[in-house]
Amino acid sequence: MMNTKRVISTIEKNYILNNLRKEERIDGRGLWEYRDWTIKSDVIASAEGSADVTLGDTRIITGLKYDVGTPFPDLPEEGVCTFMAELLPLASPIFERGPPSDQSIELARVVDRGIRHADCVQTKKLCIKANKAVYILFVDLYVINYSGNLIDAGGISSLTTLISSHIPEGKWVDDQLEWTGKYLTGETIVNELPIVTTYGKIGDVIFLDPTLPEELVSDGRISISVTEDKIVSIQKSGLATFSLEEINMLSKKSMEIGKKLRKELNLWQYKVKY
Amino acid sequence: MPLIIKDEYPEKLFREDGKRLDGRDKHELRPIKMEVGLLKNADGSAYLEWGNNKIFAAVYGPRDVHPHYLAKPDRGILRVFYRMATFSVFDRKRPAPGRREKEISMVLADCLEPLLFLELYPGNSFEVFINVMDADGGTRCACATAAALALADAGVPMRSLVTAVAVGKIDGELVTDLSGIEDKTGEADLPCAITWFNEELSLLQFDGSIDLKEFDESITLAKNALIKIHEMQLNTLKNKYIAIQEEYSGGKNKK
Repeated sequence: MMNTKRVISTIEKNYILNNLRKEERIDGRGLWEYRDWTIKSDVIASAEGSADVTLGDTRIITGLKYDVGTPFPDLPEEGVCTFMAELLPLASPIFERGPPSDQSIELARVVDRGIRHADCVQTKKLCIKANKAVYILFVDLYVINYSGNLIDAGGISSLTTLISSHIPEGKWVDDQLEWTGKYLTGETIVNELPIVTTYGKIGDVIFLDPTLPEELVSDGRISISVTEDKIVSIQKSGLATFSLEEINMLSKKSMEIGKKLRKELNLWQYKVKY
Repeated sequence: MPLIIKDEYPEKLFREDGKRLDGRDKHELRPIKMEVGLLKNADGSAYLEWGNNKIFAAVYGPRDVHPHYLAKPDRGILRVFYRMATFSVFDRKRPAPGRREKEISMVLADCLEPLLFLELYPGNSFEVFINVMDADGGTRCACATAAALALADAGVPMRSLVTAVAVGKIDGELVTDLSGIEDKTGEADLPCAITWFNEELSLLQFDGSIDLKEFDESITLAKNALIKIHEMQLNTLKNKYIAIQEEYSGGKNKK
């Protein structure tokens, strides 16, 4: 089996790095540009919301299922929204079968934190009866093709899934759950749209949306989630270290890029009518 | 605990006009869409939409066997991993592979292995990963069909393709290509696959109860449907190369 990290030649690494120093990317992008996005929503008939998102060659299919359960005792009026990610071995020779890898857990957790701290999912709306019954949402991400930057693709994929969701509406009558025949849709459940932006770092060069070869040679990366006016989550991973000025610059950059991307993708167009 | 909405089953599986619930005739197949070579990282891949079933298959190999003790000194090995997405079914499936998935993986491996010349690849393995993203009855048949396409797309030497379809009995009548509801509520379900180099069955399972005459008839029905699906498989594989040819000849071959 291959190493968990695919070997990349020094020559290729130098080529990528020299190009980056000249503010050029191997695929012709600028340092602060995303690859092309394509988004399809509501693609899975069995799921209560789904999205098929590609960012360049990276492709993630996400689906939403729900369950009704008892709320946590300390949050009796709030529903629960959980995230899981699976790096399917069909997506890349460097993904292995078996229990979730560190990388897949990190992906799910970073996406989760970006959405959790942004007042995105209205957990209070997911309550059917306080202390008795709340919705538990499962947002599951499946990586179909891996070509770098899973976190940003995962973030957009999860948001689109939540926006396109349509969950049967329940009512609490005589200590029992009854279905009203109506649906809770993404419009009710989702409020803020947090955008997560990931930057790679090689040497002293920082750039947006690393592709697979860039990810393999980079020293590390940082993912910053932002809403319209606030930073909601940051994850630095890999061996790279970032100076205070760099972090300052990146947080400003994220707000800017987040604003632009939110407008460009116009995710609210994927809401469903029920 | 409060109950989730129940998966509802209708009483009758035929409409008043004699058609099936989804509007098909008794021996009509659901719409099938096939695509090959769409996953860039895999050696070969296929995507199959069969009614509401949505399936990705990818082949990696020949490559080293991991764990190493599974390698055989005189021949290669074929491993098949059938998995369903958590959201592909009515009640969320648990993420870890279950007993059903393991059994189907094994059945599919046995179905595909006669096609390959494994004796040419001592110490190596072929791995076929099949992921069902949306399921609506007959996934094992669709998976065998998709896996054969992915293997062919990977350029693995093969004796022929394999094609699979399910035949069954609902409300006392034999029908071809059962949908999810028909599969759950019908009287019998007979998934089968034909390897075309010898025209023999390499996947055969049966659940339900039918008499001998009906059984014979079902096999014939299956064969008729399989011929049609095999034709689609061949066209899908050819079209990939026709598209490449046209691209490089600058559209000169186009009429």
